[in-house]
Amino acid sequence: MSLVSDRSQIVLLGILALLCIAISLAAPQFYTGANVIAILRQCALVLIVATGMTMLLVAAEVDLSVGASLAFTGCVGMDVTNRTGSLVLGTLAALAFAGGVGLFNGLVVTRLKVNSLIATIATMMMLQGGVYLYTREAVQNLHQIRAFTELGAGYVGGLPIPVLIAALIFIAGFVALRFTTFGRYLYAVGANGKAARLSGLRAERLKLVAFLATGLLVGVAGLILASLMNAGQPTAGRGFELTVIAAVILGGTSLSGGRGTLVGTLLGVLVLKVIDNGIIILRWNQDLQMVVPGVVIILATWLDLVRRRRDAR
Amino acid sequence: MPADPALRPAAEAAAAPALEMRGIGKRFPGVIALEDVDLVLAPGKVHALMGENGAGKSTLIKIMAGVYGKDAGSIRIGGRETELRTPRDALAQGLKVVFQEIALIGEFTVAENIFLEQYPVGRAGSIDWKRIRGEAAALFARIGFDVDPAAKTGDLPISQQQMVEIARALAHEARIVVMDEPTSSLTPSEVALLFAVIRRLTALGIAVVYVSHKLDEVFEIADEVTVLRDGRHISTKPIGAHDHDSLIHDMIGRRIENLFPRSRGHHKGEVVLSVSNLSTDAKLKDVAFEARAGEVLGFFGLMGAGRTELAKAIVGFDPIRTGTIAIGGRPLKPHDTRTGVSLGIGLLSEDRKGEGLMLELPVQQNMSLAALENFSRAGFVEEGRERSAVQSFVDRFRVKTPSLAQPIKNLSGGNQQKVLIARWLMRGLKVIVVDEPTRGIDVGAKSEIFALLDRLAGEGLAVVMMTSEMPELLGLSDRILVMAGGRITAGFERDAATQEKILNAAIG
Amino acid sequence: MPQSVSSLAAAPAGPSLLRRLARRNEIALLLSLLAVIAFFALASDTFLTTRNLTNVLGQAALPLVAGIGVAIVFISGEVDVSIGSLVAAIAIPLITIMNATESFALGVAGALALGLAVGVVNGYLAAYLGINSLIVTLGTLFILRGGVYLYTGQRAIPDDVMLESFFQLGNGRLFGVVPHPAVIAVILLIAFAYFLRHRPFGRQLYAVGGNPEVARLAGYNVRRVKFVAFVISALLATIAGILLASRLGSAVHVAGLGFEFQVVAAVVLGGVSLSGGVGSLAGMALGVLILQFVSNGLGMLNIATEWQLVITGGIIIAAVAFDELKRRRA
Repeated sequence: MSLVSDRSQIVLLGILALLCIAISLAAPQFYTGANVIAILRQCALVLIVATGMTMLLVAAEVDLSVGASLAFTGCVGMDVTNRTGSLVLGTLAALAFAGGVGLFNGLVVTRLKVNSLIATIATMMMLQGGVYLYTREAVQNLHQIRAFTELGAGYVGGLPIPVLIAALIFIAGFVALRFTTFGRYLYAVGANGKAARLSGLRAERLKLVAFLATGLLVGVAGLILASLMNAGQPTAGRGFELTVIAAVILGGTSLSGGRGTLVGTLLGVLVLKVIDNGIIILRWNQDLQMVVPGVVIILATWLDLVRRRRDAR
Repeated sequence: MPADPALRPAAEAAAAPALEMRGIGKRFPGVIALEDVDLVLAPGKVHALMGENGAGKSTLIKIMAGVYGKDAGSIRIGGRETELRTPRDALAQGLKVVFQEIALIGEFTVAENIFLEQYPVGRAGSIDWKRIRGEAAALFARIGFDVDPAAKTGDLPISQQQMVEIARALAHEARIVVMDEPTSSLTPSEVALLFAVIRRLTALGIAVVYVSHKLDEVFEIADEVTVLRDGRHISTKPIGAHDHDSLIHDMIGRRIENLFPRSRGHHKGEVVLSVSNLSTDAKLKDVAFEARAGEVLGFFGLMGAGRTELAKAIVGFDPIRTGTIAIGGRPLKPHDTRTGVSLGIGLLSEDRKGEGLMLELPVQQNMSLAALENFSRAGFVEEGRERSAVQSFVDRFRVKTPSLAQPIKNLSGGNQQKVLIARWLMRGLKVIVVDEPTRGIDVGAKSEIFALLDRLAGEGLAVVMMTSEMPELLGLSDRILVMAGGRITAGFERDAATQEKILNAAIG
Repeated sequence: MPQSVSSLAAAPAGPSLLRRLARRNEIALLLSLLAVIAFFALASDTFLTTRNLTNVLGQAALPLVAGIGVAIVFISGEVDVSIGSLVAAIAIPLITIMNATESFALGVAGALALGLAVGVVNGYLAAYLGINSLIVTLGTLFILRGGVYLYTGQRAIPDDVMLESFFQLGNGRLFGVVPHPAVIAVILLIAFAYFLRHRPFGRQLYAVGGNPEVARLAGYNVRRVKFVAFVISALLATIAGILLASRLGSAVHVAGLGFEFQVVAAVVLGGVSLSGGVGSLAGMALGVLILQFVSNGLGMLNIATEWQLVITGGIIIAAVAFDELKRRRA
């Protein structure tokens, strides 16, 4: 079974190695502990959401609202914690909100049969408008609960907490997608929805679960982001959805469903974030951070296409 | 009707060939699709092209259509050497191919589809819509084809769409018309209309290539027949030089003594499927029947009779309006495949690619899909058990695949079908509904599929078979029900059924 | 040579069923638009004034012009979301060339050259290399926006020469009433509607999007048709960008952020299918106008602009869901 390893991942691994070597030659501080940890922390947010997005793309759906939801969730989490003084309630509120957005997307797509690209663009617009109705400015951290700050900035055993959270989520997602019936069914639904239904699978419910999972993961990422910025920023997360999708596609997951792995997604996230980091430590213009992913995503898709055409021969 | 073969050589000598293909070769990576194939068409004659699936017919047709380039050989049209590199080249040379798959734009009107390849334009380069509608209507009137040129093509039944395609060939100044399985979805009266059209074409001196599996049709319409096998040219003879057996012999290289290796006398058990009063919004009207364990219940009907609709309704795939469906005495919740599968009814769809296969995924995943829960503990798949179960089915059914990890798109149609049947057996069913189980499968694999279905009935399953193939129906069924217009119009025990009685009920 | 059977006398033709069917969707949209207008006319005194209505038309002009291109790409079975960055990017050659040469024509030529280049790149990557067009145009969306930031250093480039012709293009009014952008949008709409309906190439766009395999067998060059669709889309986005730059009076690095989604939403609302081969420019235009009037009307009622996004999102989901429901019934 070729669910985990295939050649596109070896190619990605090679690209990643080349990048690391090239950047470290030009800027030796690349391999300092601080920089490596900075890269990992950058990866964490993207990887958390990308885990859900991979499941969605495998099931042949997509969610463009994750960026807008990320910002809104951070505001909700911060605000509720401020008001109640309880981190537990704030966390629950943020997760409930983000999960609710995921559920809403899922219901619109599976029940109303709206194309998920369109449905989630619409949700994105509603969230972007909604967050400003909710708060005009950043929601500042008024509670100063230590655990909240730790969420983004803390360390356990030398590793940043966001990285640990991302690792746990990644492992859980990997196991779910690779070893459980749920994962196998997601691939089936994405590869051929009608065949899956005829085989007795509840295709719509599986998709709904994937949307819900993505929503909840956005909630987790939103809380971490709010902690890192020490505020709920309504403008945060702009373009985040595209970074996440770029990483997933770069990792070899197909837009048309039924194909892709989380290991690939991990590599995709690492490549994008190492490039980002390289741009910063080489003191290149940071606006290149928008250009490079654009080039990378087109290039990666094209290489994948070339490889698949060759395989088909 | 074919002319007296004795008269033909003189006539052929008189006219230069309309098309002369010599030594045609085509290879795909790893496969030789065609090798040294000749095809010579005389103007005004119908030339049948025959062979099993995979014999190279469709590759040859696609070379004629300009879809594939040839690797070797020469093509002469009207005596002049030519190259057919693109579909446009072929059209420009007066060569029109009517493919089996409907090649019409569903959103366009019938009239527009007729002129898709060359829109008539006015002085300023604008499309002359009036002329398009007028000429389409006139064309239909001439060939006696009753359809509104302004109708949206996608709204027409498949059989009428096929007629539109054929009409399209006439709208162009085609000198050579190739028809790939043109009758696969036509009713008998439409077939008669088609044959009248073909005779009109030949009377105009147009050369017609007629590709078909249906021997009766070939004997009725063709003047000559070329047989391909495994990409090679086997024979070209006047039709009068063939009989059924010799033609089949040329096609498969051996005689199939018994296509339906039937174990006589299934033991019929109790009723496992009972359907009553079943109606749907779209098609079905008050359908009621029962199927017993251990029998093959054949449903026959022409295009649009409602066989596929019935199949999809009774497995819970499509919603129903009224009626009840019970499997093993327990009611099936309509429009819910999950309870259907757990009660023990499953569908082998006619649309293998669209509703059966997960093309990119391996054989293993494809086969175990419906039965995955049998191999799971607490939600985790035990891949070892899964693999050995899949392997045992691959061995038992003699599925030809290099490995279980092979993407199923790389298997032949027959092997794909075996995997899909195994998908259901692995799950364990009481009733298997098979819809056109041998569509697109070549003769050799067909008989294997038949044997498999027969064995299933022998093992105590109820096999409900939807088919439009008369030999399949008569060869395999224990009992036959005939559908027309969404209703069951007649029922026969196997021994009482005759082709005539069945057709009468199907038309009625 | 056999005689042609196509040279026969024309028979009387019935009304086109296709056109009748297609119209139904547009009539529903038209009724929705009228309902929107009626609602706001009753709710606000200032809504139904010539001034306001023409203002709305002026604002709608940009998504209308870009929407023609996006609709054409959709009809050909592909997607183009790069236009949001493109409208910002073309302002750079436009303004810098005008500043340097004081020539409006040269500035426009520079803008069109960039637009053409982007269209060619999008079209080549998507149509000829066969890369998924959503990926390609998301990629160019990133690249162009990043490029704009890099070039401008995230500052607006002001128009130093203030040519009257350039100012009039986006801000003037025909007969003092109809904004020039609206006039341009209407002319382009009519021209492209004619093109799509009455030119063989227009029909090829529909055929290629409706069923590429059939189109190929009919002798069409599917790749070329799609390629041209991307070029048309980029050029129309360029025109929209020129109009936008004229209104803003400068090359603004954040111009057009989210414009691609706004246009895609309007196009889909107008009944142009994401899966290709279906839709009309009339529908697209009605989709744009409905969203524009809703947002304008809400502004008139002093409802926060943020609500407009929320309501627009709701309308899109409702419209597409309703459309899907209708199709399932049929």
